[in-house]
Amino acid sequence: MNKALLKNKQALIGLGLMLFVSMIAVFAPFIAPNDPNQIDTLNKFLHVSPAYPLGTDQLGRCVLSRLIFGARYSLGIAVPTLLALGTIGLAFGTAAAYIGGRLERVFLIVCDIFMAFPPLVIVLSLVGALGQGIEIILTAVIFSMWVWYAKVLRTYARIEKAKDYILASKIAGCSGLRIVFYHIIPNILPQCIVILSTGIASLILMVSGFSFLGLGFEAGTPEWGAMLNQARSSFYAHPRLVVYPGLCILITAAGFNLFGEALRDMISPEEVSE
Amino acid sequence: MFTYIRKRLISLVIVLFGITVLSFLLSNISPVDPAEAYASRVLKNPTPEKIEEIRLEMGLNLPLYQQYINWIGNCLKGDLGTSLLTKNPVSYDIAQKMPATIQLVALALFFIVISFIPISVISAVRKNSLFDHFVKGVSILGISIPSFWLGFLLLLIFAVTFPIFEVVDYGNIRSLILPALVLAIPAASSFIRLFRATVLSNLNKDYVVYAKARGISTNRIVWGHVLKNSLPPIVTLFFQNLGYMLAGSAVVESVFSLKGIGLHLLNAVMARDLPTINGCVLIIALIFVFCSILADGINMVLNPRMIEREEALYE
Repeated sequence: MNKALLKNKQALIGLGLMLFVSMIAVFAPFIAPNDPNQIDTLNKFLHVSPAYPLGTDQLGRCVLSRLIFGARYSLGIAVPTLLALGTIGLAFGTAAAYIGGRLERVFLIVCDIFMAFPPLVIVLSLVGALGQGIEIILTAVIFSMWVWYAKVLRTYARIEKAKDYILASKIAGCSGLRIVFYHIIPNILPQCIVILSTGIASLILMVSGFSFLGLGFEAGTPEWGAMLNQARSSFYAHPRLVVYPGLCILITAAGFNLFGEALRDMISPEEVSE
Repeated sequence: MFTYIRKRLISLVIVLFGITVLSFLLSNISPVDPAEAYASRVLKNPTPEKIEEIRLEMGLNLPLYQQYINWIGNCLKGDLGTSLLTKNPVSYDIAQKMPATIQLVALALFFIVISFIPISVISAVRKNSLFDHFVKGVSILGISIPSFWLGFLLLLIFAVTFPIFEVVDYGNIRSLILPALVLAIPAASSFIRLFRATVLSNLNKDYVVYAKARGISTNRIVWGHVLKNSLPPIVTLFFQNLGYMLAGSAVVESVFSLKGIGLHLLNAVMARDLPTINGCVLIIALIFVFCSILADGINMVLNPRMIEREEALYE
């Protein structure tokens, strides 16, 4: 499995991009040539120079440094959110699949109710009711997305539960919890990783979309979506300020997608998601 | 078959009820006192007595479930309340903004349908060809691209560098082409990925071998049998996307300054116009449910066998 992964070109490119962006996020203060929040109104819209490798923005801040710090925001939000979603999804999904019966049907109806609300709508209504704030965005994303993860993981757990070895371990006297934790969860973990890897890409896109709309971050935060939003007023004069942050989002999302899709091809070449 | 439809209908009623409860709760978790907020908007210096009066008038002193019943009763009569921002009835505002968004989404869906079916079928039939690799690469880019950025890029290329389209252009179908492309490209990419995989797995099924053995031409097998059998999962996804696009259009409408429902909702959020937010959320959720019913119906007609499988999931 690991060897096959290392032989797969697509997976390697994806993994490389993921590591590249993560390293940038971790070592941002050491890599960035300037302070990302240093405002210098005398040096607005500077072109490429040794002091500012990618020039400066509408407030004279170093674009490259802001892009580098932007990686922190994108990954720093997407990764914890995803872990929360994965944990909640795994807990509810496997529980619903394992217990089955009426509880499972209730679970499916709850899923249908939540799925009728697009994440953007939940985020908008929560921000409308509770005000701005990154923690509100996070709550809203988890609140609106958890059923998607729970529902897919339930399907996987259900398929796994129907296999003979589960029956065998029941006969051998395994308790329900033991079956779930020692048998079902480890066996659906590969599919779980695929979902999480492609899920992180869509979360990065989603959160940057929210901050592009002006939801979540304080003005001036060096987050890619927010940078794009601030640069749009000078879009026709300085399109590069819009192009760079978008390119960063694209590269990061593509890295996770490439890796996740390669992994999916390897685990289940013919599998069609439900 | 009828048990299936009956069960679906029962769960539909429960889902509709749940949706109204959830929309109601979402708009009622605000820590701001709505009576006070309303009073300070209407009057200059509201006295506490006046606020109490408004509270009674708006029924905000009642317990939450009673407020919900009043609200749902009004909704059923088509009264979603009055917008704090425009002072118009919320339903009137929504009816004003909806057509633009529906046109946009319809054009995007048109682009999606004409592109994804031929591309993914050819890509699956010629697996590992140059075309297939190209499609795989482009569709990965398509699902990774931020839609607002794609919008700016298209504006930059097609309105500034090669001025084929106007930057600000209202009211005609041409003005919708670029925004519809922005909505369509990410969705079409994920459809292509899913549909290619479905077609591939269908191509390996026994019925294809049997059809070949009967001497049916490959073209007829692929475009007839395989296509029909591959459609159900994509139909579900397609209608799910339809519902989501109505909300997701907020981003695109913001880039292209289109006056649709998404931008309307966004403006309402920025102004904390709760009745409008509430109304839009409810309408979008209802449209979503309507779309999923439509998807179920089409799937039932396309592939009656699938119901048995679905039934197994509910049993």
